[in-house]
Amino acid sequence: MSNQGKTFSIILLGFIATTLWLTYDSGGNADIRQLVQTAQTPPAQEEPQPLNPQTPAPPPPVTATPTAPTPAQPAVDETALRYFARQGDTKRLQAEIARLRALYPGWTPPADPTAAPVQIDSELDRMWQLYAQGNYAELRKAIADRQSREPNWQVPKDLTDRLAIAETRERLINASNLKQYETVIRVAASTQSLLTCADLDVMWRVAEAFAQTKQPERARDAYQYVLRNCTEPSERLATMQKAVALLPRQLIDDLLALEKTTDGKSEFASIRADLIRKSVAAGAGDPPQPVSQEDVAALEEIARTDKQAEDSRLLGWYYLRKDDPANAEQWFRDASAITDDVDAAQGLGLALVALDKPAEAEEVLYKWRDTSDAVREDYMAAATNLIAKEPRVPIDEAILKRIVPAVAQAKNAAAAQQLGWYAHAFGQEETATQWFTTALRWKPDEEAAAYGLAVVRMTLGDTKGVTELQRDWTGRSERIATITEPQIRTAAVAEATRAAERKTATSSDTVSPKQDVAAPRQTRSTSGGNAPSRKGCSATDLYSSTTGASALTRAWCLMELDRPAEAVEAFEAAIETGSAATRSEAAWGQTLANIRLGLPDKASVSASKAPQTGQRARDLEASILSLRASGFFEKKRYAETLLALDQRARIAPERRDLMVLRGYAYLALFKIAEARQVFEAIAASGDPEGARGLAAVRAALDPAPQN
Amino acid sequence: MKLMLVLLFCLACLMPRIASAQQGDAALISSDDWNAYKAKFLDPSGRIIDDANGNISHSEGQGYGLLLAFLAGKKADFDLIWSFTRTEMLLRDDRLSAWRWDPAAMPHVTDINNATDGDILIAYALARAGNDWNLPDLSAFATEMVKAIAATTVRREGGRLVIMPAASGFSQGERSDGPVVNLSYWIFEAFPLFAKLDPDTGWDRVASDGLALIKASAIGPEQLPPNWLSLKDKPRPAEGFDPDFGYDALRIPLYLVRANVAEPALIEPFAAMDSGIPITNLSTGTVREKLTEPAYLIIPALTRCVLNKTPVPSQLTKFTPSLYFPSTLHLLALAWLAEHREACG
Repeated sequence: MSNQGKTFSIILLGFIATTLWLTYDSGGNADIRQLVQTAQTPPAQEEPQPLNPQTPAPPPPVTATPTAPTPAQPAVDETALRYFARQGDTKRLQAEIARLRALYPGWTPPADPTAAPVQIDSELDRMWQLYAQGNYAELRKAIADRQSREPNWQVPKDLTDRLAIAETRERLINASNLKQYETVIRVAASTQSLLTCADLDVMWRVAEAFAQTKQPERARDAYQYVLRNCTEPSERLATMQKAVALLPRQLIDDLLALEKTTDGKSEFASIRADLIRKSVAAGAGDPPQPVSQEDVAALEEIARTDKQAEDSRLLGWYYLRKDDPANAEQWFRDASAITDDVDAAQGLGLALVALDKPAEAEEVLYKWRDTSDAVREDYMAAATNLIAKEPRVPIDEAILKRIVPAVAQAKNAAAAQQLGWYAHAFGQEETATQWFTTALRWKPDEEAAAYGLAVVRMTLGDTKGVTELQRDWTGRSERIATITEPQIRTAAVAEATRAAERKTATSSDTVSPKQDVAAPRQTRSTSGGNAPSRKGCSATDLYSSTTGASALTRAWCLMELDRPAEAVEAFEAAIETGSAATRSEAAWGQTLANIRLGLPDKASVSASKAPQTGQRARDLEASILSLRASGFFEKKRYAETLLALDQRARIAPERRDLMVLRGYAYLALFKIAEARQVFEAIAASGDPEGARGLAAVRAALDPAPQN
Repeated sequence: MKLMLVLLFCLACLMPRIASAQQGDAALISSDDWNAYKAKFLDPSGRIIDDANGNISHSEGQGYGLLLAFLAGKKADFDLIWSFTRTEMLLRDDRLSAWRWDPAAMPHVTDINNATDGDILIAYALARAGNDWNLPDLSAFATEMVKAIAATTVRREGGRLVIMPAASGFSQGERSDGPVVNLSYWIFEAFPLFAKLDPDTGWDRVASDGLALIKASAIGPEQLPPNWLSLKDKPRPAEGFDPDFGYDALRIPLYLVRANVAEPALIEPFAAMDSGIPITNLSTGTVREKLTEPAYLIIPALTRCVLNKTPVPSQLTKFTPSLYFPSTLHLLALAWLAEHREACG
């Protein structure tokens, strides 16, 4: 009995006839133990704990129905053993030998169990046969029949004990199949000898019953018992698989601690890998669950070693969900290289779109586009992004030719709208009109398409058509309503005109980025959380290493002090070290700072450093384009001035100062008709800048000085 | 006045004469009759086969089988049926029996619901066998089951203690005309034993309230109770069932006789059925069919004996198994008659 050096104590389950034993070792780990402790049970994994001689001897197990025979008793009932031997049922014979050895440690099995005992009781043999066949009810009847016929006959206790256990086992399994988990636990508690390594199915069902009745720790104890005492590798692995399906991670970790390593191979490596996959998959889920960095790193290691496409794909999705498209692209490419399938292609396409590589995304997704609705949508997104890509580059005709039918088939209004802008950018106003119209047919409330159509009609001088659109969109689109603003507005223009005149003539201040970004800037400064703090940008901490949110605070403070160059650096620190939200705001701030510095290219780079919300992104884009337009104008690059103004006009109504700029750009390119049209529109709004422009047009037509 | 009679009803009168059903003693069901019954309806695996119902088994059949084996003094058959019942059907978390076992389905239990009359019959048979054969394990199991029946199915409804037909599906919350009960689930002979095993439930009230309900639910000129009874307002036939005095309710007089309830007001309506048991639509008064085989006819004959000491005709006492249900009722009737030979011939 001193085989384990453990302190035993007994925890009773909360049921009436509880005899299910829970023993606790000195470490406090519980395990379920059959009452009849078997010799075949190996010692537990942990190091043997030396018994402190002063420690009182462990109390013997207490049992309500003491059935354990005393080892000294030599009378061993070998009838079952001999029956199985004669039947050639070696499996049951071995099990019986093991059982009897466990019960009677001093007992040795007969050398020849098939040798006939003194006399054969054929009726008893038949009973054992019924037992072996699992006909327990019939065996009950046979016993009772014989008892009534032969009042002196003694039924072997071994037979009745085993019959009771077998019936109970069947009842437990029936209850388990019917999900009657309380019955399962009750039955197991009444017959703890069922809980052995020789019959793990029962053990698993009991564990499941505990898990299903919200007693996960007890389920863990049951699995722990198996892992401490049972040796068959496949059964140990199956035990872990069952535990993984039913227990929370924390309790599973308790079980993994009992893992054995043979020849440097950990028996539960596959289980651990699955757990890691499950964890990373949860991190790639919607909504994403927190994932430990160890799990991610471990899966990366597994993916690199085992080269399973599935693992690489999972990592791709994880990084995509984490807004890390660069890493996502890498893992999806790895996955595609192993198995070129739609899932990897879809992920790769999305990553490429996020990385602003829509041409590659379109290429990757094209062949999979009809696989499912989701992939079709992703393909459309890639194509749409490709068409909308700035600065405009002509798309290869072959590619355009395959995109167009796909758009038509999908009736995708967003893509149609972008095709409209694309055509407009290359002066194909008829085509643009068709695409915008088509987009509106597919999606009548697509305001951007209506606005595009209005822009095209303005370009074509179709004022009637514009008015129609304005009527249709009354109250639904501010920018369509104000697209003709210069013609309608008459008041409050004098000062703006004066400014426009000055700026048009010379400086890069022609368009005021501050004007463009005024609204979001104000929105921000009235929001409480990140209110700029003077302290944050005092000269003294100029060189201190501010990071994250404090860097952001400092950057806004510098902006308030109109020190945009320093602010750019502070925003950069915030981008590099901040949270996702901080990064987004810092990128926005850095864009504004670069705009204020008159650096549109740098502003563009800043804007791409973190995703922005739709309105904010549009404001930034408009500001950058204003800046670009005036920059080009200053450098006498008039065609590019017009291109920038066109791009801007697609996302915001053209301000009057920019219209003036446009007029002079046309004039410089000797597009006299266009220039005149613009200046006339400005003049019609009562803006004297219009008259000045018209004078300039006349002067250009007639270089001779008037005086 | 009738109500008074019911309240005066004496529980001890219900107590079955614990006649010796010991093995070797004169059994209440003859070996011949039992052997004929079991040859036809007892599968070697220990289940009672309902041959009119796709050869399925149910908790009611297992309960009847246990009770008949006990009354026949056949412990070996009792053990056989009990092993099957416990292993295959007594599986519910609430310690009651699943009601339906289908040999053609896997798992065999196709509906985990219980049927309370089955549970009552099983518990009653266990209790009697545990008593008479001095088997404490059976008595303990019976006690556990009786308490489970009380906990799950005995409810107070409108001032009465009633037995719900199942753990779910019949209560006020589950049916618009709920609670709905089945008066043939009141197996009166069981309740005195139940009261001993489970003194806290008030099984005597269950019995007396059941008798009162039988009276209160008597409908039409024939004054017969329906199979399924709504207790929402005044007792009336439940919705969704035929408004019949039918195969369920025809057991009521048998159970009354077996429990030695001799009150004329309760038994008289059945005593009049001398030409057959009329399966009757109680709404229209239409008799759908008349059951005239001896297995059924013996029931009104028993009530006439109780009322007027009219001997039971000998042609009704010969047992020839037909189908599971009437054959079972026939043996239960004959077992009672075996104890009342002098009075009923």
